[in-house]
Amino acid sequence: MPGQGPPDTGHPLEDLPGELLIWVLIVSELLVFGAGLAAFLGVRITDPQGFADAQDHLHRTGAALNTVVLVTSGYLAARALHLRQSARRGAARWHLVLAMALGAVFLIIKGIEFIDKAAQGIGVETHPFFMFYYLLTGFHAAHVLAGIVILGLVAIWDDAHNIETGAAFWHMVDLVWVLLFPVIYLLA
Amino acid sequence: MRPLVTPTPLTRAWLILLLLSGASALIAALVAQSFAPAALGAVILFLAWMKSRVILSWYLGLRQAPAWRAGFNWVLALYCLILLGLYLIPALGS
Repeated sequence: MPGQGPPDTGHPLEDLPGELLIWVLIVSELLVFGAGLAAFLGVRITDPQGFADAQDHLHRTGAALNTVVLVTSGYLAARALHLRQSARRGAARWHLVLAMALGAVFLIIKGIEFIDKAAQGIGVETHPFFMFYYLLTGFHAAHVLAGIVILGLVAIWDDAHNIETGAAFWHMVDLVWVLLFPVIYLLA
Repeated sequence: MRPLVTPTPLTRAWLILLLLSGASALIAALVAQSFAPAALGAVILFLAWMKSRVILSWYLGLRQAPAWRAGFNWVLALYCLILLGLYLIPALGS
């Protein structure tokens, strides 16, 4: 703000850590998922009991476990950047590989959940709840898959700038999940 | 390029996220028992907001850009309040 705070040292956008474009992507993704979650709760107003009954078919503990998996994966990705900046290249790569492995664990748990729903005959047309459930968690899972690929790429081409950008994408996936999980799985 | 992370605070942030996730799991068990859903809704969204703050500050490095961090935190707080309002509307109408 003009006239307040420390002397202006440059454009405010330069204060953002990492690439500007990754922040554009992060904000874009937050807006997309944010709109989806708001629409989910908006439609819920028309049938709160139906949404609560449908939500009881979800495995909340498994989803909570997936939160632990994803935030731990994010921690490893963040550590990878620090290690690379400290010139510990091999350790950084291993951290990225472990972050990818936890991403795979997340997808396996999510896949088991989807298979279980399908076995119960639950599809996108079963109830509006499940349309949002499959759409939002499926779209997020696609981002997890993309993130695993990106982490693999930055583990190969592993300069610090690449790792910073790849890890930022991974943290965005993490950030979306910590907002998505409580709304879809817990707000009955 | 500005460094995004330092080891000890980063580990602390991860532990905080684990604690908040554990609290979410506990809430999940209470939700299953239909215990005070309106109050739990507020707690659930508060925990989500806290987790998002930690991720933005320590994983994404916004602690180095306090103005941006404050902006993100306020917008996410407002968004969580909107979600809470949408969640509580059916209860207010009954």
